[in-house]
Amino acid sequence: MNPLFEKIAQYIQNHVQADDYSLSIRSNDSHETRFAQNGITQHIAGPGLEIDLEVAFGQKTGGGSVNQSDEDTLGQLIKTAQDIARLNRPDPEYLPSVGAQELPRVNNLDPATRDLDPAKMVEIVAQAIAKAKAYGATVSGMTEKHLVESALFTKNGFAGYDASTEFGHSMTLKKDAVETKVSYSALDFGSFSLDKEFERLLSQAESLQTMKDFDPCKIAVILRPPALEELLWFMAWMMNRRQSDEGFTPYTGQLGQPFFGEKFSLRSTLKEPRLHARPFDREGIANREISWVENGVLKNLPTNRHWAKEKNAQPQSMYNFFIPGGAASEEEMMKLVPRGLIINRFWYIRTVDAKAGEFTGMTRDGVLYFEDGQVKHAVNNLRFNEMPHDATRRILALGKQESPSPSSYIPTMLIEAFNFVDKTTF
Amino acid sequence: MKYLDLAMNAAESLGAEYADIRVQKTTDEVIYLQNLSLKNTSNSVLYGYGIRFFKDGAWGFAHSNIFTDEAVLQTVKRAADIASLSASVNKNKKLRLAPERSYIATYETPVKIDPRDVPMKEKVELMLEVNRSMLAFEGIKRAMFYLIMHRDEKFFGSTLGTRLETNTQWITPMISATAVHEGDSQSRSFNEGGKAVGWEWIESLNLTEKAKQVAEEALIKVKADPLGPEQRRTLILDPIHLGLTMHESVGHPTELDRVLGWEADYAGISFATPEKLKNYRYGSEIVNFVGDNTLNEGLATLGFDDDGVPGQKWHIIKDGILNEYGSTRDTALEIGLGYSRGCNRATYYSDQPINRIPNLYLLPGTKELSPSELIADTEDGVYIQGQGSFSIDQHRVNFQFGGDFFWEIKNGKLHRPLKKVLYKSCNPEFWNSCDAICDERWWRPFGVINCGKGQPSQSARMTHGAATTRFRNIRVGGSQ
Repeated sequence: MNPLFEKIAQYIQNHVQADDYSLSIRSNDSHETRFAQNGITQHIAGPGLEIDLEVAFGQKTGGGSVNQSDEDTLGQLIKTAQDIARLNRPDPEYLPSVGAQELPRVNNLDPATRDLDPAKMVEIVAQAIAKAKAYGATVSGMTEKHLVESALFTKNGFAGYDASTEFGHSMTLKKDAVETKVSYSALDFGSFSLDKEFERLLSQAESLQTMKDFDPCKIAVILRPPALEELLWFMAWMMNRRQSDEGFTPYTGQLGQPFFGEKFSLRSTLKEPRLHARPFDREGIANREISWVENGVLKNLPTNRHWAKEKNAQPQSMYNFFIPGGAASEEEMMKLVPRGLIINRFWYIRTVDAKAGEFTGMTRDGVLYFEDGQVKHAVNNLRFNEMPHDATRRILALGKQESPSPSSYIPTMLIEAFNFVDKTTF
Repeated sequence: MKYLDLAMNAAESLGAEYADIRVQKTTDEVIYLQNLSLKNTSNSVLYGYGIRFFKDGAWGFAHSNIFTDEAVLQTVKRAADIASLSASVNKNKKLRLAPERSYIATYETPVKIDPRDVPMKEKVELMLEVNRSMLAFEGIKRAMFYLIMHRDEKFFGSTLGTRLETNTQWITPMISATAVHEGDSQSRSFNEGGKAVGWEWIESLNLTEKAKQVAEEALIKVKADPLGPEQRRTLILDPIHLGLTMHESVGHPTELDRVLGWEADYAGISFATPEKLKNYRYGSEIVNFVGDNTLNEGLATLGFDDDGVPGQKWHIIKDGILNEYGSTRDTALEIGLGYSRGCNRATYYSDQPINRIPNLYLLPGTKELSPSELIADTEDGVYIQGQGSFSIDQHRVNFQFGGDFFWEIKNGKLHRPLKKVLYKSCNPEFWNSCDAICDERWWRPFGVINCGKGQPSQSARMTHGAATTRFRNIRVGGSQ
């Protein structure tokens, strides 16, 4: 536990007069080097602190947050939250804060990443730019490292702490009309190799050299993990027990039903070392191994404490994405359908119809057309309107899992008849 | 504010060619009510300072929340060290700053009733009443009211000698009702975004009555017919809807940092490249877009930007032709522009400012024309009110929008309500298809409070505006 956090928690405990409180503290120390068109455009460093306090007098709640830890500021924070609560109306859905919990042991911190020298990060940027110049291209991206510590304390005895690191390096290469991107994001810096990442970037760029016009249609797609992760965020956002029970999502009445394709499973796990697994959620509920979808059957939906109590269910949060993969390589996938597209990444996904679970979005950073088991050429970017849960019913094959970020460990997917509805000019 | 001089003297002694310090306290009072349950009633304060250090064609930016002489000096040193690291990479790619003079000035958002002077209980009672009036309608399953009152108190000092003190604020009320009917659920909102005004705006809105209309229209919408297959149709768009359309298809493509490729890795670039300036037909001849950081009640009306450049007013699109960009001191010279348009803004003290959309609006039509006359003049089309789904490619060419409430127009009349309507278009087709704009009596603003951009991500504010406008021959149809 961070000693500053303990000191803040002690002060709050000693001075809060409210019947109940929940104290959340988050600190970060970040270094972010942003580069574009072969030069550094932004370069940022500094610490951050957020102290959030929620108090309750009976069912009347109030909250406040500050970013300084001196006693005057903490005293003002308590006063603000308590004043709001005293003036507030009772919240019919209020629940007392959680008590002490048995929390899982996790390790999300890599000391080498925490101690990474900014000069080393700038050296990575310099090397990336040198490689891009040697290729006759420009490169834009960001190199970043973060140390994040977070803790939750409650009046009823909960105390939880998590510390995590993250290193990220992204690169968008542009040469003539070709534009493509790779990104690395992980809890640790140790497995990062600029040479390997740049090789991947050049390989993508080379594959996009011949571009042909392609009209939107329903067609098989091979979704690479970064593309799948973008879709997952939006699909998961709608996976909410209360919203579903109240009729606002496609999951209404589907718990226990084979609502997804049988090749699709989705879990959150504490056991995969590539994934950031916070030991507890924002309400103080211990995270646990949980299956959301198992072979197509909707097993669980994220539920807060209030709704769990209403429904006599267990509160739970989706804290990371683990989708079991398969053995198919992209080459093997290409042979399973007559023709299709390989998608590197999606962009600007938004809800079209919340109840239907329908989303729109664009492809980005390279789309490849394949036919007869072989990549033929690149094509223009396309717009899709698609229901991701429905798309899982059209999964034909799963590839090896990869971790595009510490939030997900997911496979490449071959999906039939993905619904593209428009195209753009590049 | 003694730290301004301390920091700027230290920066000069470390060899800064330019440096600035922005001391910023951001306060947000948020009340979020859903189905009579207070999900969030809080007051947050973020207080600290960010220091930019410019030398040898490169920036360093460091921030801190510790207010002591020692911490300020350490932060200046850290910014200088980072700038030095940046410069080691930028030897052949040096950034340059457009010239600017110094200012000693203050600016304050004019408000009649400071929201802080309105008791919490009064705010919550109003919100509960609004919530109750929506839930009184059978079929409304979710009633929501989101109220944010935001304030920024800033002190800015630069090595040019500029010293600014600004106090700006805005407020936003957003209410929505969600109806459930026969396996479908649809929402309708009242959402004009944010305005740089005080509580007097809330008092003038008569939200309890608006809530009834919102609930009624949610029920109409959930029972409405979906539109059939996509076909080319006439579109009439209301000012609130257009706020989002222009934000995505005109505002972002004309940010000079995107044009230069500085956002290539994340937010994207722009099709509106510099060789198109003064000659590219972005829209029809009646399309005039103005950047205006002096707009009354505008969210980007802040007196000065975070480069210390004063608010300005200029044409971004003039008579349909791409005229100029929104620019900053570090982007302007890249295209030979000898001055910044004052569009560099940061969200919090810990953010390095980036090129942002100014207040940007479509000038009203010059001929007298009301929305009802425009509808009467339309044989067959779709009228869209409010905002819904939105998505655009990373070059800002191809886009698809939904809306919040839809009517089919037949023979000059609102024929039947619709749901699940989408339109698809692209630049420059869309703005060139604009053939009628209602006059200034019908001009309305929409204040964006959550424009996401940058790495690390920042959320900016700006106001758009338009009168109801017609577009011909656009692909409009139902979702799948």
